[in-house]
Amino acid sequence: MPLLENGRIVEDFWTTIGGDELLPPTGPVIVPLDRLEDGLARPAGEKLGVALPPDAEIAVLRAALPRLALVGVTFPTFRDGRAFSQARALREHLDFAGDIRVTGRPLPDQYEFLLRCGVSTVQLPDGADPAVWARAHERFTTAYQPAVRDERAEGFGLRRFLA
Amino acid sequence: MDVRSNRREAGGSSVVTANRLLDGRIVWLAGDGAWSGRIDAAHVFSNDGIEAVIDATARRQQADGVVGVYGVQVRDDSTTPVPVTVRERIRAFGPTVHPEFATLTEVPPDVR
Amino acid sequence: MSAEILAAPSSGIAPVGHYAYDQVDRAFLHDRVEQFRDQVARRLSGTLSEDEFKPLRLMNGLYLQLHAYMLRVAIPYGILDSRQMRELANIARTYDRDYGHFTTRQNIQFNWIRLEDTPDILARLATVDMHAIQTSGNCIRNVTCDQFAGAAADELLDPRVHAEILRQWSTLHPEFSFLPRKFKIAISGSPNDRVAARFHDIGLVAKPGRHGTVFDVFVGGGMGRTPIVGVHLRDNLPEEDLLAYLEAMIRVYNEYGRRDNIYKARIKILVQALGAEGYREKVDAEFAAMDRARYRLPPETVAAIRARFGTPALDAPSDAAERLAGARRADAAFDRWVRTNTHSHRAAGYISAVISLKPDGGIPGDATSAQLDAIADLAERFSFGEIRISHMQNVVLGHVRQDELHALWQELGRAGLASANIGLIGDIIACPGLDYCSLANARSIPIAQKLSARFANPDLQERIGDLQIKISGCINACGHHHAGHIGILGVDKKGEEFFQLTLGGSAASDAAIGQILGPALPEDSTVDAIAHLVDAYLVHRTDGERFLDTYRRLGAALFKDAVYALA
Ligand code: HEM
Ligand code: SF4
Repeated sequence: MPLLENGRIVEDFWTTIGGDELLPPTGPVIVPLDRLEDGLARPAGEKLGVALPPDAEIAVLRAALPRLALVGVTFPTFRDGRAFSQARALREHLDFAGDIRVTGRPLPDQYEFLLRCGVSTVQLPDGADPAVWARAHERFTTAYQPAVRDERAEGFGLRRFLA
Repeated sequence: MDVRSNRREAGGSSVVTANRLLDGRIVWLAGDGAWSGRIDAAHVFSNDGIEAVIDATARRQQADGVVGVYGVQVRDDSTTPVPVTVRERIRAFGPTVHPEFATLTEVPPDVR
Repeated sequence: MSAEILAAPSSGIAPVGHYAYDQVDRAFLHDRVEQFRDQVARRLSGTLSEDEFKPLRLMNGLYLQLHAYMLRVAIPYGILDSRQMRELANIARTYDRDYGHFTTRQNIQFNWIRLEDTPDILARLATVDMHAIQTSGNCIRNVTCDQFAGAAADELLDPRVHAEILRQWSTLHPEFSFLPRKFKIAISGSPNDRVAARFHDIGLVAKPGRHGTVFDVFVGGGMGRTPIVGVHLRDNLPEEDLLAYLEAMIRVYNEYGRRDNIYKARIKILVQALGAEGYREKVDAEFAAMDRARYRLPPETVAAIRARFGTPALDAPSDAAERLAGARRADAAFDRWVRTNTHSHRAAGYISAVISLKPDGGIPGDATSAQLDAIADLAERFSFGEIRISHMQNVVLGHVRQDELHALWQELGRAGLASANIGLIGDIIACPGLDYCSLANARSIPIAQKLSARFANPDLQERIGDLQIKISGCINACGHHHAGHIGILGVDKKGEEFFQLTLGGSAASDAAIGQILGPALPEDSTVDAIAHLVDAYLVHRTDGERFLDTYRRLGAALFKDAVYALA
């Protein structure tokens, strides 16, 4: 499945590990939350990511976060907007600076929202047209509220320029 | 789909309805497989086979340009199909508070 | 004068009562229209399924109703100007069937819209700085406000600047556009609650504090199938923390609100499940953890937005009140209308006038495009081009000179808009019901029409006094039946319409949820039943007692007998 970053398709170096798959000893892997301990048991230099289910509180990652290069958040359906809050809390409360990756079934029309909540990459759902996603990122030039990306103020009031 | 509008008894007969995608207006499935804005053009199906008709019709709704296909039970005793529920009678014949919008007497709804 | 006001934004004179857009706001609206045009094209080509398209169209106010699409256009905090009203009339004429319907959430709905026309309609709305953004969908909806804001004598603070700030802040909010369920915020600046603050997901009451504006916050009120009076969450929230605190409140909801069952997804259910204390703790924890500087609402921002509101130059002649008194003495019908349809103004010589959209036997909240145009003209002539929509589905001209009130009333009479029934039994709220709404069990409008025709006699109405009848066609309660002194709820029994009566509800400061009186009644005996209730009240009331108070004093038994003993 193609990976989108800043409106462009990029190469995906990560391997996503299922609940009962064997964990490779080296290489960047994304483990499910309940296998975080296994992931942390690997050598310290090996890149580790964790996939957070929508009902998890991000506080459970607090201790492990310095070791994590990626946190995955997911949309079981595009209607389930919990991942927006998780991404935003990761950036704002835990100052997470690594990759926040979206999986599941988001809509392209949500792309700008995702970016503004601190998401960095999106694993596009099957059949998604990357051009539609890229367009969604260029659609608006103004936003009306503060967000994680700390965009530059635009004139008066609450407005800011979207990068 | 709302269960109320799908209420059907085992016996009896039904017509198939949907809304047109482009303008949202109510349409009824006619005998030739085309959609009509008038319930008096609707084909009346026996309830025995109605689920299969609804399924087949729902599968081609994008191609037909309609949304929300479902079946509506009609009274057995009238020549023009008359739905058994108030809701479907209002859909078939127009809002009761605007008699001038009645669907079976109006000129085609060119509201532009 | 009016021409200048209308030329507003570019000439630097802001429209009275609402925010003036600038080029940036207009460019944003343009982008939003183009986005929707693209979404419609994707839907028509089949790239978007109906399931995927639905939330996108809903967030642009487009529903698929019984007979056609319905477009709900936002009237932020219920205020618009004459130029905007005329465009609404144009849209009704061009794309609909020549009328519109004002809702209890201060919006306007068009009932016969075509999907393929919608991008063009939105583009036309954008030419007058209007939109349909977030008038539906599981997002923060149009923020509602007191219809007498900025005019009422009892007001502590004009809440419209903050309502505008909330409108902007909630517009395409990145985190809160896919909440568990819809989210409604109301804001008032008066101790006399005219916005039903306790029946909203969040209700805010603004007041002056020692160091600037502060807010009392209510949460978790609502109607629908689980009517609940909101919880008083906190007092004296400082203005600069307003956005931060709302972010915390809604974030907790986004994280913990139920998504498994849409009937249990509103914030009221979460607040009940956690308890007021439990919810408050979570909000406070979030509030404490967040980067408050980022969400701070500085006074300069408030001032900058306030500067884009026009304020009316209120300078009535000193004998204005006297001349009004004279006109009232000379004309009994006018005197009656003034008694029922006006509200006192903070400025000497001014008054607020309520235009009833509840003619005898009419459809509550409906207005023809000719009436919309007439209201636009009258607003320009009598009230600085400013028009307000009330949650009672009426129209308000906020700042009318008292000496000009008689002339206004005469003009209203010519347009068929001078019904003198505000707050009386004829001032009925009704949702669209089964005549339009795909979720309905029963028709609301015909009951309202029959009731208002039955009680048309103005002497009788005045004798009955303050009595609010509210009708919903199903348990979703769009007609606020739970909060009606008399509530009427449509229920479905085997495909036929029945109506359940509730008594004792109120949306005001004495907020209460009406209690079910007894078994649901068939359509043809519902109007009689209401008449029996009213008769029983007239017999048993003490001097000056409202229906609601008689009910509260004597209880349901007497009213039950009145309805069911005869049946
Ligand atoms: C005709 C299309 C409409 C549809 C499909 C519709 C749908 C709904 C639904 C499903 C609810 C229940 C939400 C819940 O409790 O979670 C609701 C509540 C509500 N609606 Fe509507 N509605 C419509 C029209 C209106 C109109 C015309 C008004 C104003 C007159 C209105 C105002 C409200 C209000 C005030 C509530 C209840 C307050 C609350 O949110 O708890 N709606 N609507
Ligand atoms: S109360 Fe029910 S019938 Fe009335 S508008 Fe709301 S959803 Fe429709």
